[in-house]
Amino acid sequence: MAVEFDGGVVVGADSRTTTGSYIANRVTDKLTKVADYIYCCRSGSAADTQAVSDIVSYHLDFLQSETQEPPLVRTAAHLFKGMCYQYRDQLSAGIICAGWDKKDGGQVYSIPIGGMCVQQPFAIGGSGSTYIYGYVDSVFKTGMTQEECMKFVTNSLALAMMRDGSSGGVIRLAIITQKGVERKVIVGSDIPRFYEG
Amino acid sequence: MSIMSYNGGDVIAMMGKNCVAIACDRRFGIQAQTVSTDFDKIFEMGPKLFVGLPGLATDTQTVAQRLKFRLNLYTLRENRAMKPKTFMSVVSNLLYEKRFGPYFIEPVVAGLDPKTNEPFICSLDLIGCPMVTDDFVVSGTASEQMYGMCESLWQPDLGPDDLFETISQALMNAVDRDATSGWGAKVYVIEADKVTIKTLKARMD
Repeated sequence: MAVEFDGGVVVGADSRTTTGSYIANRVTDKLTKVADYIYCCRSGSAADTQAVSDIVSYHLDFLQSETQEPPLVRTAAHLFKGMCYQYRDQLSAGIICAGWDKKDGGQVYSIPIGGMCVQQPFAIGGSGSTYIYGYVDSVFKTGMTQEECMKFVTNSLALAMMRDGSSGGVIRLAIITQKGVERKVIVGSDIPRFYEG
Repeated sequence: MSIMSYNGGDVIAMMGKNCVAIACDRRFGIQAQTVSTDFDKIFEMGPKLFVGLPGLATDTQTVAQRLKFRLNLYTLRENRAMKPKTFMSVVSNLLYEKRFGPYFIEPVVAGLDPKTNEPFICSLDLIGCPMVTDDFVVSGTASEQMYGMCESLWQPDLGPDDLFETISQALMNAVDRDATSGWGAKVYVIEADKVTIKTLKARMD
């Protein structure tokens, strides 16, 4: 998931990759850098999303050479959209593209399966997201600080990881602001616990 | 979609020195969704006789009830506790009766002989083929992971405390590699004079 705040974005993801029910990787990094100030959260087929983000990353790097400026978040989002829509029948990729640029500050773009692209104040995705739509809708408010956004992302992911079998492991965060990208990992007993039945 | 992995769940039993241990995870899920975290798969069939029933949750409940029924009638008729080896045959018979429309569970039996306190473990497949071993038995959606853990951690003649540690580590680390198992664990250590039940603090993801 990704949340926008005044000055940047907080992106977060779990760390579980499964092949069927076997957990192939329990420490996956689903937050992928496509440019210095732009990250994407990948869900769906790992192969498809890795391939698409590699290509988008190449395009953004080329663009940066040509324009001599860091790329805009909306440019990255639309590059993702272009590929996800054109190859929609062959791909299984749900992507959230988020970052910071000088023109529009922090932005979050959701590119779900099928290839639409929409900007939102926050976005959730992946199989575990279905369990937290009610939670995020009830807790989110505009004008949150960076710390409030981090808590919001952490709590939401913890709840999804608890209920969804395909989600789990550790919580990875990336906070993207004008200053740069700060990566965080929340492990073990630091992950918030709620009602456990 | 495989029926045996619809709900998910695992059971291990291990042999120790004059003791046995049996452990299970506590998840009840419907495919990827976890519904509850207090669904135990081990049932007491006698003071020193336990059966683990991983597989389809509805059959876990039904088979536990039907087994208890047969065991109760046996106890009333024979006026003595059932031996674990006999119980294994009761389970086998119940499952084979449904040979062409089976219960979707692969049980694990662990217990001590009521008179001699000799330890006993065994597992059966879903149509009742019994397998008696002198080390460990595993069953469930993370069976391959459990085999790997047991094969490396188990050694013969473990005392009750060491056996508890070994079976706990084997189960916990195996289910942590399975998306449809875990969410808590319960371990039963069965000795001649007492049964110790411990609930383990586990990853809830």
